[in-house]
Amino acid sequence: MALLELDSVTKRFGGLLAVSNVSFSLDRGEILSMIGPNGAGKTTAFNCVTGLFPITSGQIRLDGVSISGLPPHRITKLGIARTFQNIRLFAFMTAVDNVMVGAHWWMKERVWDGAFQTKRARSEERSVQQRALSLLDQLGLSRYAGSYAREMPYGLQRKLEIARALATQPRLLLLDEPAAGLNSHEKVELMQLIARLRDEGLTILLIEHDMRLVMEVSHRIVVLDHGEKIAEGSPAEVRTNPRVIEAYLGTGASEATRSA
Amino acid sequence: MRKRLAAFIRTEPEGGPSSAGTSVFWILASSASGLLIIGWLLPWFVGPYDAGVGYSAQDALVSSPTGIGTILIYILAVAMVILFVSPFAEAFMRFRGRTFGPRADRIRLYLGIAGVVLTGVVWLLYRVLGEEPLFGSLQPGEISDSAIWLTMYGFALAALVYGARPWVIGRQTLAFGTAVLPFGIFLPLMFHQAPDFLLWAAGSLAIYMLLALGLNVVVGFAGLLDLGYAAFFAIGAYACASFASPIHNIHWPLWILIFLGAAIASLFGAILGAPTLRLRGDYLAIVTLGFGEIVPDLATNNVFNLTGGPNGISGIDQPHWGFMDFSESPRWYYWSLLLVSIAVIVLLYNIERSRVGRAWVALREDEVAAAATGINTTTTKLLAFAIGASVSGLAGAFYGSLVTVVTPDDFSFSVSIAVLSIVVLGGIGNIAGVILGAVILTFVIFWALPNMDAWSTTLSSTVHIPALANINFSSYTYIIYGLALILMMLLRPGGLLPSRARRIELESAGESESLAAVQGIA
Repeated sequence: MALLELDSVTKRFGGLLAVSNVSFSLDRGEILSMIGPNGAGKTTAFNCVTGLFPITSGQIRLDGVSISGLPPHRITKLGIARTFQNIRLFAFMTAVDNVMVGAHWWMKERVWDGAFQTKRARSEERSVQQRALSLLDQLGLSRYAGSYAREMPYGLQRKLEIARALATQPRLLLLDEPAAGLNSHEKVELMQLIARLRDEGLTILLIEHDMRLVMEVSHRIVVLDHGEKIAEGSPAEVRTNPRVIEAYLGTGASEATRSA
Repeated sequence: MRKRLAAFIRTEPEGGPSSAGTSVFWILASSASGLLIIGWLLPWFVGPYDAGVGYSAQDALVSSPTGIGTILIYILAVAMVILFVSPFAEAFMRFRGRTFGPRADRIRLYLGIAGVVLTGVVWLLYRVLGEEPLFGSLQPGEISDSAIWLTMYGFALAALVYGARPWVIGRQTLAFGTAVLPFGIFLPLMFHQAPDFLLWAAGSLAIYMLLALGLNVVVGFAGLLDLGYAAFFAIGAYACASFASPIHNIHWPLWILIFLGAAIASLFGAILGAPTLRLRGDYLAIVTLGFGEIVPDLATNNVFNLTGGPNGISGIDQPHWGFMDFSESPRWYYWSLLLVSIAVIVLLYNIERSRVGRAWVALREDEVAAAATGINTTTTKLLAFAIGASVSGLAGAFYGSLVTVVTPDDFSFSVSIAVLSIVVLGGIGNIAGVILGAVILTFVIFWALPNMDAWSTTLSSTVHIPALANINFSSYTYIIYGLALILMMLLRPGGLLPSRARRIELESAGESESLAAVQGIA
C-alpha cells in the first residue's frame, strides 16, 4: 500500500486555482520528485499535505488514513516532516535547540517536570540533547551546535532544517527546494545525504529545480503546471515528454528551435 | 550536559555567547569595597562622634590603646584598607597591562576570612563586655550593629570575589545571585534602626518584579504582546481581598490565597488567551488592552456585589502566625516576598530552559515552522498566557494583603504600561535583565520622581539658584519619566541586560546598516 496518497486534491485561493485535481501516490522507500515551472503549485501542494492550508476538495491519505483537515502538528506526529523553500529556522535559537524543537512532540517532559527539574526532565533533556548533538555531528554541523541558526552559513542552514525535520522521527520527508542556493560541492553532499536517508528507509517527496539532482536521485517524477499534473513517470520518461518540454520552454518552443 | 554544550559554545567561530565575563567580578569587588567603607564611616554619620558608637578604628584611636579589642581593631583596619583599595589598584594594574597574580588573590582571601571572623569576635566582645578597656565607654546603641553587618558582609564578599575569582568570572549569574542573596535575607536585620519604609519599598519592588517576570513569559518568551496585564494583577488582588476580609466574612490564610490568586488568574489568562489565539502583534495587543480596561471597570461597577464598587475592598487580613505578626512589621512581608520571588525566579528560569521554554521561543521566532515541527501552537500559547497570568495573580494576592485595601484605580492602564516598560527597559526575554529593570524603575517611580521637589529645593539652597526651587517637578513627573525611558532606549536599545538573541540581532542590524552606508545605499 502506498504511504502517501493524494486523491484529486484541489486548492483554491479565491479565484485562483493553485492546485487542481492532482492525484499521485508515494510508495514506501521511494523518492518522488515534484517539478514544474515557478507558480505551478508545488509548494502549495506541500502546504496542503502538511496541513498548513486546508484543501478545497479531495483527499490526502497517509497509510490509508485521511489526514486532510488535521492541524500541522498532528500531521507531524503522524510522521510527515518538511523543510521550507525559504529557510524557516528559529533564527535566534541555537542549532542544538532548533533540532531539539523537532523532538518536542515526542518528549514526555511536562511543564512541572521542567519547572522543578525533576529527574525525569533532566535525564530526558540530557538524552535528547545527546541525540541532537549526534544528529548535528552526522550532518557535519557540530561546529555550529552552540551558534544561533542565523549565524550559520546559508548551506548549513539548509542542512540544519533537514536535521530539525529528522528529529521529529518522520516516515515521510518533504524537501522543498533543498538545493536552492547551494554551491556544486554542497549539492553533491546533499545528493549523498538524500541517498543515505533513502537507504535508511525514509520516503522522500522532493521539490527541486536542479534537474541534474532530480534525475539522479528520483525513482519517479511528477510534473505540475498551472496547478495540474501534466506528467508522471520515471526520469527518462519525463525528460522526453513533449508536454513537459512545452511547459518549461513555452508553446512553440520546439518549432522555434527547429527553424533556427 | 550543560558543560558539554559549553564546550561547543566556546569553539564557535566568532564572538560567541557565554555567561563568562568580568563585569560581575568588578561589580562585586567594588561593592565589597563600598560596604567596607560604609561600615567604617557609618558611625560617624549616624550618631554624634563622642557618643562612642561603633567599633571602628576611630574608637580605637580615642580609647586607650590597651586590650585585645584595640589590637583586633588595628588588624581589621589594615585588612579593611587593603581590601578597600584592591579594586582600584587592580583596575590601575590592568590599565598598565599587568595583573596581581594568584598569590595576591590568596592573601586577599585570607584577609577577607580574617575580617569576617575578627569582626565577629569584636562584636561578641562588645556585646559581652560592652565597656572599657576595650572600646571606651559604649552605649548600647544599635547603630554599631548595622556597621558590623555591613563590614562583615563586605569582608565576606571580598573573600568570595578574590578567593573564587575563576568561578565568579565563569558563572556570572550564579555568582551574582550567591553574593546578593545573603544581603537580601539579612536586610531587615542589618538595619536595626532602618525605617520601615525601606522594607515597604522592597515589598513594592518585589511585587513589580513578580509582575514583570510574569509578563516576560508572555511578551519575552512567547512573543505575544499583552497590554492589559494589570487585569490579572487585579484578579489576584481581588481574589485575596474577597477571601480574607470582612466583605464576605471569609478569612483564609495568605499562603492559601497566593495559590488561589495564581490559579484564578491563570484560569482567566487561558480565558483571555483562547479567543485571541489567531491574533498576532498589533491585533492581539488591542484585544488585551480591552481586557485590561474591562476588568477594573467590572470592579468599579461592583459585579455580582463581589468587588465593593469604586471604593474597593478594605480591611484585608494581615496574617498572624505565631510570632510572625505581619501587621507589626513589614519584615515578614519582606521575607515571604523574598522567598516567593526566589521560587518564581528559579521556576521560570527552569521552564525557560525546558521543553516548553523552547517551544515558546520557537513560536516567537516562526509560528508556521513551529507548527510544522510538531508544536501544538494553541496549547503552547495558552500555557504562556496562563503561566504569565498566574505569576501576576500571585503578586496580586500579596499586594492585597500588603496594602490591606484594593480599589479599581490600583489596576489602571498605567500599571500595565509600567510593567511593560520594566520588561522592555530591563531586556525583553532575559530574566536577569527584567529583575534589574524592576529594581531601577521602581526606584525611579516610587522614590526618585516623588522626591524630585524636595531635592530641587535642597539643591537650590546649596548652589544658590532660587529658580530651581520654583520648578514644580511633581507636575512634570511623567514627562521626566518618559524622557528617561526614551533616553534609555536610545542608549541601550536592547534593554539594560539584553538577551543574547536581542544583542546579536542589534549587532547584526548595525552591521547591515554600516554595510549599506559603505555601498552608498543609505
